[in-house]
Amino acid sequence: MKSNTFLGAVLGAMICSATAYAVEPGDAAPGFTVKNVKGEEVSLADFKDKVVVLEWINYDCPFVKKHYGSGNMPKLQQTYTGKDVVWISVNSSAEGQQGYLPPSDLAARSTKEGNKASQIVLDTDGTVGKAYGAMTTPHMIVIDQDGKVAYNGAIDSKATTEVADIETADSYVSAALDAVLAGEAVETAKTKPYGCGVKYAK
Amino acid sequence: MKFSLLLAAGLPLTSVAGAEEKSGHASAELLCGVSSYQPGETVPVAIRLKIEPGWHSYWINPGIGGMPLKATWTLPDGWKAGELQQPVPKRFMTGDLPGFGYEGEAVFLVDLTPSGDAAGEASLQVKLAWLTCNENSCVPGNAELSLKLPAGDGAANGNAPVIETAAAKIPKSVEHTRAGVTEEDGVVTMRFHMPGDYDFKGSQVFPATPDVMDPAAPIAVKWEGERWSVSAPKSEYADGAAEALDLVFAGGNLKHPVVVCWRGK
Repeated sequence: MKSNTFLGAVLGAMICSATAYAVEPGDAAPGFTVKNVKGEEVSLADFKDKVVVLEWINYDCPFVKKHYGSGNMPKLQQTYTGKDVVWISVNSSAEGQQGYLPPSDLAARSTKEGNKASQIVLDTDGTVGKAYGAMTTPHMIVIDQDGKVAYNGAIDSKATTEVADIETADSYVSAALDAVLAGEAVETAKTKPYGCGVKYAK
Repeated sequence: MKFSLLLAAGLPLTSVAGAEEKSGHASAELLCGVSSYQPGETVPVAIRLKIEPGWHSYWINPGIGGMPLKATWTLPDGWKAGELQQPVPKRFMTGDLPGFGYEGEAVFLVDLTPSGDAAGEASLQVKLAWLTCNENSCVPGNAELSLKLPAGDGAANGNAPVIETAAAKIPKSVEHTRAGVTEEDGVVTMRFHMPGDYDFKGSQVFPATPDVMDPAAPIAVKWEGERWSVSAPKSEYADGAAEALDLVFAGGNLKHPVVVCWRGK
């Protein structure tokens, strides 16, 4: 009679690492104050009663390239900022890590990439990214008018680097924003974000 | 004289291996296990991905982040491509993100089947897209590979051993395993009976179905006297109750990797 219990999948190091605290849909969005590329302070509290999007960027990540190179991300930014949504692109790459750029270079690069966000901010120490559990670039958070997280996850349903997939993917972030703006519940409020890992300080 | 003899000896009858194409931090190669095809008979084909040291690529369940290899075939009319068979992966972390995939070399297998009335030289083309990542960055790779294969006796060629070695690393599905899946207190458990003499003690387990089990969590395997019980915390990205779960077991006392499949109603 065999009776054995074992962990079949534990390899070398323990990999059940403590993942960063993640905000669940319905949670109050953690407040933050960071500097934008112009050196001005930007606080979440500045946008009380507004719908806010947080978008994690790293222009050297192929998944981010997919959405900027195709014009998809700028189009979303333009569409929703046109509907009074505050769109904040957050760069949480630590200094020396991929995607990090000093403020003026990040501003120039963002212009070149066609970024139409309301704010482009630096989170070099990763405080905002970790408060929201941002894992990938892109990683999208939608905050509703009441300051609650309405959506947390991927930009769309096709986790690839191929531009051709954008057209046939379900745009989770658009669906969430449309619902929030219409005062309706977000049907798909949490998905698995896809992309490159956020390049936090090691 | 000598020159022409060499030329004749080295002259390939058919191009059973396409050129290796490098892209990003890996190179890909298309290999065919036979020198010719017979109408209606399966043609074994391998896609060999060689990944640069320090980089990794991804399994069908890439974990969080990452992207599995995608193969899109362009074949003559009437030919069909079977599923992309993926070797047993490794677990790794990319920064904070848990993943499953490959380091070094990974050989994927595909069965191509010509129609019963196929004739003439066949052009077999595949478009590949993959992602390689290391701790610092991710770089995609793309390749378009092709082979020309004449009709003939379907005899195995020099690539057959490569395909045989690769097949030993691809999980075999086991029929009649009578699997069931339950969820309780955030833990997903699959229980199943196994025919024959399968012993999973000391095997590694990998969830091939994405977003059912937490990719960062260890998977507990228990022998419950009559059946096996395999459980892990549920993925936080699970979309409701699981509808399917494939678990891959490899190593330990297993002679060959195995996949146990469960499908809900």
